[in-house]
Amino acid sequence: MNEPAAGCEFAEESPADLASSEFSSLYAENSRAIYYLALRFLGDPQKAEDATHDVFLKAFRKLDQFRGEASLRTWLYRIAINHCQNLRQGWHDRHVFSNADDAVWENTVAKTDSPLRVLEIKELGQRIQKTLDGLPDEYRLLLLLVADEELSYEQVGALVGQSPDAVRGKLHRARKTFAVLFEKTA
Amino acid sequence: MKHQTKLSQEQQQQHAAEHQTQQPAAREFASAEELLRYDAAHTTVPPGIAQRLQKSTGDLPGPKTAWWKRLFGGTNP
Repeated sequence: MNEPAAGCEFAEESPADLASSEFSSLYAENSRAIYYLALRFLGDPQKAEDATHDVFLKAFRKLDQFRGEASLRTWLYRIAINHCQNLRQGWHDRHVFSNADDAVWENTVAKTDSPLRVLEIKELGQRIQKTLDGLPDEYRLLLLLVADEELSYEQVGALVGQSPDAVRGKLHRARKTFAVLFEKTA
Repeated sequence: MKHQTKLSQEQQQQHAAEHQTQQPAAREFASAEELLRYDAAHTTVPPGIAQRLQKSTGDLPGPKTAWWKRLFGGTNP
């Protein structure tokens, strides 16, 4: 999760604009994690793309407010979670649901694999999305955060407003629910 | 008997292979997190995000404080 995402670094370096090497590094090291969280939390590649853009734009504007009390990854996750939860809340209020078509989902799969592998990964991604969509928001978020090996239970707990022990307990139930729902998507 | 045994083994292998093809995810991943990590690793970040960000921030002033210097031990302006 922590390797720079290929093709995501900014093209030019200039002190006058965003393309500072530091922000470029921040983006390269964290964009995959933030995009993946948005993708699986929102369930729509286009909305995830918009959300990722908005999260990093917000981060850029607030970089001078970052106090170093949390890791940069955790700080970005906090911005992303707030943003995605606001979006979902807005959809619920307006009764809007995702209707992303297949063509949009095609672009989320890495193209380095063979066509058969790409198809397998795409199908697996659809099953994962279907499973996550069936989980309560709390479980979905918990699993997505715990899947990031850079985060400790303490950090996950801070992000979801729970103690590490509560995270462990809920994670156990989230895993079981995920497994049951995932089997049903086969 | 040996021939039957051989056939039986082949049938078992074929059956196991078919079963594996039908349920690859359930067999390959030990936990939901492991599955999600695999999925994340195979997810491509759309290059359009970086391009849009570069455009969006083009007119904005950069961060006022060199936060990375403060964070990683450089001089604090």
